[in-house]
Amino acid sequence: MSTTPDLPFESHTLPNGLQVVLHPDRSLPLVTVNLWYHVGSKNERPGRTGFAHLFEHMLFQGSAHVPTNGHFRYVQEVGGVANGSTTHDRTNYYETLPAARLDLGLWLESDRMGFLLPALTQENLDKQRDVVMNERSQRIENQPYGRASETLYGLLYPDGHPYNWPVIGTMEDIAAATLDEVRAFFSTYYAPNNAVLTIAGDVAPGEALDRAAAWFGEIPSAGPVPKVAIDAKPLGGERRGVLADEILLPRVYLAFRTPPYGSRAWYAADLLASLLSGGKSSLLYRDLIYDRQTAQEVGAWVSLGEASGTFTLIATARPGVALEEIEAALAGHLERIAAGEIAEGDLERARKRALTDYFGSLQRLDMRADLLARFATFFGDPGGAAREVEVYRTLASRELADFAATYCRPADRACLWIVPRSAAR
Amino acid sequence: MSAPPRAVPREVPPPPGVARAFHFPPFLNRRCGNGLRIYAARVERVPLATLELVFPAGGHWDPAGRPGLATLTASLLDEGTERCGSLDLARRAEDLGGYLASFADWDSGAVEVGLLASELRPACELLAEVATAPSFPEREIERLKKLRLAELDRRRYEPSALAEDHLARVLYAGTPYAEPLQGTSESVARLEREDFLGFYRDHYALGGAVLIAAGDLDPEALADRIEATLGGAPTAVAPPPPPIEPPARAAWTVHVVDRPGASQTELRIGHPGLSRRDPDYVPFLVLNTLFGGKFTSRINLNLRERHGFTYGASSRLSGRLGPGPFSIGAGVATASAGAAVREVLEEIERIRTEPVAPDELEETRAYVTGVFPYSSQTIGDVAKRLEVLAIYGLPDDYYPTYLARVAAVDRNELLALAQRHLDPQRLAIVAVGPADQLRPQLEDLGPVEVIPPAEALG
Repeated sequence: MSTTPDLPFESHTLPNGLQVVLHPDRSLPLVTVNLWYHVGSKNERPGRTGFAHLFEHMLFQGSAHVPTNGHFRYVQEVGGVANGSTTHDRTNYYETLPAARLDLGLWLESDRMGFLLPALTQENLDKQRDVVMNERSQRIENQPYGRASETLYGLLYPDGHPYNWPVIGTMEDIAAATLDEVRAFFSTYYAPNNAVLTIAGDVAPGEALDRAAAWFGEIPSAGPVPKVAIDAKPLGGERRGVLADEILLPRVYLAFRTPPYGSRAWYAADLLASLLSGGKSSLLYRDLIYDRQTAQEVGAWVSLGEASGTFTLIATARPGVALEEIEAALAGHLERIAAGEIAEGDLERARKRALTDYFGSLQRLDMRADLLARFATFFGDPGGAAREVEVYRTLASRELADFAATYCRPADRACLWIVPRSAAR
Repeated sequence: MSAPPRAVPREVPPPPGVARAFHFPPFLNRRCGNGLRIYAARVERVPLATLELVFPAGGHWDPAGRPGLATLTASLLDEGTERCGSLDLARRAEDLGGYLASFADWDSGAVEVGLLASELRPACELLAEVATAPSFPEREIERLKKLRLAELDRRRYEPSALAEDHLARVLYAGTPYAEPLQGTSESVARLEREDFLGFYRDHYALGGAVLIAAGDLDPEALADRIEATLGGAPTAVAPPPPPIEPPARAAWTVHVVDRPGASQTELRIGHPGLSRRDPDYVPFLVLNTLFGGKFTSRINLNLRERHGFTYGASSRLSGRLGPGPFSIGAGVATASAGAAVREVLEEIERIRTEPVAPDELEETRAYVTGVFPYSSQTIGDVAKRLEVLAIYGLPDDYYPTYLARVAAVDRNELLALAQRHLDPQRLAIVAVGPADQLRPQLEDLGPVEVIPPAEALG
């Protein structure tokens, strides 16, 4: 692909520390207002988990000038959409609005950054705790394989590691959170000096910066944000687990720690994931689903971890196939990759897929804003967003092999089996 | 830094700036000599494109006793042609920087190629080959049947799938909509190569097909190329969709699919709705959005925000050629299931008896029209919207007309629509969860049919 991405931007920092990223795009009459707070579950501590995610709910419960549920109502009544998400490393909040409603988005986001506490009541907290517990029931406990991810992270990042506990928190911690603790968490992390505001769309950068300064400039910065030290070394000693679940087909997970998102080795992992499972011609599909027919589905991916990515392979067994067999097959593929056995055609197809996926994701304004915000938050430089293309174009087969040889050693893996509850009894 | 911070009035929402209009991209609509129709639109943002050949070959046409035939036939199209095997077809698509897929839903079967825009010519050839010369190899048939059978077995462990499948079974007995689109274990096990060849022969004629193209391409040049390769040879036309007439229902019914020990209960409450082709469809969409189709809808504000019963509750109409289900769905705390069902019944009653508030209507109309540009951004969005025109026989000016129609909906019309299209007496109430806890909460609504776990699980 000869085209380079069209991602013009400006980056400014307000006196209160808020980084403002501006991405003009006049092709549609839309504007996205996107706030990244550099706080995720890694900033919590054992026994007090789930706070960052809980705020994904509390921040929609109103602030000093916005009534409970006013956020969604104001956004939707002008034809906008709003949402948020939480990971180990960061939380984002965003709305996409008709361009003429930029001020509305800035008003809502600045009100909940600067004026949340008067609306953070015990009543709102209690109600959202119920909602979060229902969310946990629905998305984790009542879904086949729903507890796999948190169990796997528990193995790969042992007790005490900041990626150890589930992003959504545990039921006990969610139930135990007090109003004072929740308020203190907010005051520490949800401040302009710990956030990136991205404004993308049909608005001139000068005007957008002016509006951002008007709405956010008066919000005081907080003290220095406590840093979390994260050990990014490989696991060092295989850890295995077996989880019984309400499922029919057993599944195996293999996971490894990778270098941080943004490093060349991380992109090698991403390209390797595509080579292994990105399409019907990929290695795992070809081998396990098509030829041997031992797997019902396969997958490989690497997480966008700021301190350490998580490279995960999965395979779900066809009826009657033993997990030992498909686990050995997955491990065998990694061994051969580490030994340099990578067919040029497979690499080229993976490379094209990575580029198509990259450009595909740039079609939406909110995703472009989010990509720029990710680079601004993790690296201080939104310019890295456009440079990803060059990395995918230049990664060599040797770099994929090196990644597998260095980071996917059997001694550094977490291995999780999910087995049917009936078989486990 | 430019200007110093200025005080802004925070007490009320800031007023809008000057609005700029959005226009759905212009598109080409051409009919070839053999009946093949071509829709093509230029969407230039990124150097990608998508090509799709769509046929009247969805589950709507599954013969009695053969559910799953349409979706399996579609899945087999890209598993081998007269010239090329399954993996080679996939490689050819991936060498173009894209993918090849074939699939069916209720209303259509389709072959789709995603590609780098520079690779249009080989992509057209690949699409034509897969759609016109599939070979249905025995080996691939056996392989896909086994995958499908395992998938169907596994579906019985998914609470939301269990709830939806049972709702359909109750509402649509005797019609294709009663069975899952993916079929049943019994039907799939019996399907043979002759079945696929027959379904393909009857439903994949180019004379009844539509080619949808969107992306960084020249619509005229693309249409010329397609017409030259596919638009000439005269072909048969597929049979029109047979009517789907769900059995009449005189009183609501209550059903529990037992999942002992489940941490939550999945609810589906619904009845047959109106067809995507019904003139009431667009105003009904406004009604549904207000009722259960957005975060601030009545259903979600009631069950999630007021009562904390659930992580999220919504209602939807499955818009199909026939009368697809209208249903309310939520995963709720089991102890609250009975209360949640009553809230839903009351909300249905309320919307049928009281006109909606003027500001509630205004918010909903503004939302439905306002999100239109947001949901028309990508190549896939535009292709999907063109496909809707093609499949449901809608005019070229449908989208501008749609926006005007939404803006014209008024309170009296919504009340009349609710009375015409929502009827508590026809509802099936399905709860998937622990029967011993659910039955006592539901039995004063009427006799509770309990489907034991063994039966639900196979």
